[in-house]
Amino acid sequence: MRIAGPSSSARKARAERLAPYVLVAPAVLIIVALRLWPLALGVNFSFTGDGELNGTPVGLGNYLELAGDPLFHISLRNVGLLVLLLPLAVAIPGLLATFIYLRVPGHRVYRSVYFFPAVLSPVIVGAIFNLMLGYDGPLNSLLGSIGAGPVDWLGDPGIAMFTVVGVHVWATFGMALVVFLAGFSTLDSSLLDAARVDGASLRQSIWHVIIPSLTRTIQFVFVTTMIGMLTSMFGLLFVMTSGGPEGATYLPEYYIWHQQGQMNRPALASAASTVLFVVMLVVGLLQITLLRRAGRQD
Amino acid sequence: MPGARLARWAAAVPMAGLALATIYPLVFTANVAMKTRRDYVLDRFSPAGSLRWDNLAEAWTGAGMARYFVNSFVIVTCAVALLLLLGSMAGFALARLRFRGSSMIFLGCLAGLFIPFQVIMVPLTRVMADSGLIDTYPGLILAYVAQYLPFTVFLMTSHYRTIPAEIVDAARIDGNTVYGVYRRIMLPLGVPALLSVGILDALFCWNDVLIALLMMPSPEHRTLMIGVNALRGQYTDDVPAFASGVLIAAVPVLMIYLFLQRQIADGVTAGSTKG
Repeated sequence: MRIAGPSSSARKARAERLAPYVLVAPAVLIIVALRLWPLALGVNFSFTGDGELNGTPVGLGNYLELAGDPLFHISLRNVGLLVLLLPLAVAIPGLLATFIYLRVPGHRVYRSVYFFPAVLSPVIVGAIFNLMLGYDGPLNSLLGSIGAGPVDWLGDPGIAMFTVVGVHVWATFGMALVVFLAGFSTLDSSLLDAARVDGASLRQSIWHVIIPSLTRTIQFVFVTTMIGMLTSMFGLLFVMTSGGPEGATYLPEYYIWHQQGQMNRPALASAASTVLFVVMLVVGLLQITLLRRAGRQD
Repeated sequence: MPGARLARWAAAVPMAGLALATIYPLVFTANVAMKTRRDYVLDRFSPAGSLRWDNLAEAWTGAGMARYFVNSFVIVTCAVALLLLLGSMAGFALARLRFRGSSMIFLGCLAGLFIPFQVIMVPLTRVMADSGLIDTYPGLILAYVAQYLPFTVFLMTSHYRTIPAEIVDAARIDGNTVYGVYRRIMLPLGVPALLSVGILDALFCWNDVLIALLMMPSPEHRTLMIGVNALRGQYTDDVPAFASGVLIAAVPVLMIYLFLQRQIADGVTAGSTKG
């Protein structure tokens, strides 16, 4: 007696049951193999040695070396600076978006113009500003014409980091602006009208109507701007300062790249990666908690 | 309200100033690209008398920008095509099919979204080197797909959640297989989201520096952005030629921006409103 194979309808039913897995499989495989797995691998890697000690466990050796490395100290200090400047980097696009929402003359043009640098590569932005900020570049001649300067924007260790952050904000505030405008489009305009009828000033309207209604948007902008500052300034640093002068513009991402690529210290770089990841988690969670609490008080 | 009107005009002045500050660096660069070296040294601000294409031609052929441009174009096209295919497949399944483990898988994708490249760049470079993919086109394409897939899956899933489940059910009753529903219903209905995610993915890949730097060490494999940076060393004292290279790299993005600004903004804001 022949054993009957599965009927064609049963086979079809099985194919249908498996279909969802077939659809998600490629994406899941790639994400697991090239994102989640490397994260675990990197953490593991950070507890091993470099060079002759390649592969042998060194415990916390790499982390201790980081703790003693002045360049890594500067990287972390610069992260602190970014965190301090963060409210400014959020407030500027927020205020601009408010005015665009209130239909300042020319508001349509501003939106398009402000957003444009956000789509340019940091390499292009950096290259352009290398021209603009050169010691004998346009900005210094402008300053010279009003009797100030010249300023060594990228060569003075006390100024270079602020210059690079300034350029980063110039290049990315349009991104936050667009997010704010999307938030405004969900705003109940009758609230604002009511405030206006009650004689509220612009400042009162912003403080008591706009900010409380946009808590979610503000939260989102805070977190994404922070992530942007910590993870997308490599291009600018690479093109504008190469971490200099005197290491003054190091950020963890530049430090990681430098240790891995130039110094051939991948395990030390992995330790720095792990620290960066923890810093980002802590800062992100802290922000969300703080903003939630602030939101509740309103 | 006269006071409010006054305030609005008062705000318009600094805003116009800021708009100028946003545009001027680009205009300056384009202007420098049109000048001769001599003109630039004598006066860097005056408008270039005429449109001169010599510098652009020099950067395009002399400095190998043409080669880099083709590299970038091929890599970005392949990466975006793969991202959209895999992202829409997974997005459809996660949004509109019920299967065991789907919420776990969605969470896994979200977790991928919160791992910055900097955190995994060392081990990823090693994995790529071990599998012989470093310094190859497929290697960089795969690295880009891995980098932007979580974002693409996330946006496609939230888009497909806005499409009524009844449409899927009706198509199934009409005798379509799951794959048939994907191909005949979900793919066409996904076009607006595919367009805005695709443009954003393309911009990310086109603009990337760090991943290309790590995955493509040899000079002939440089992408356009790495090429622009290499120009710096090549044209240290020929600023107009350097500015031309920058311009070549910026123009495609400018074109995309002029025509597809709305879609780009939609993609950027999707995470904030749908999350």
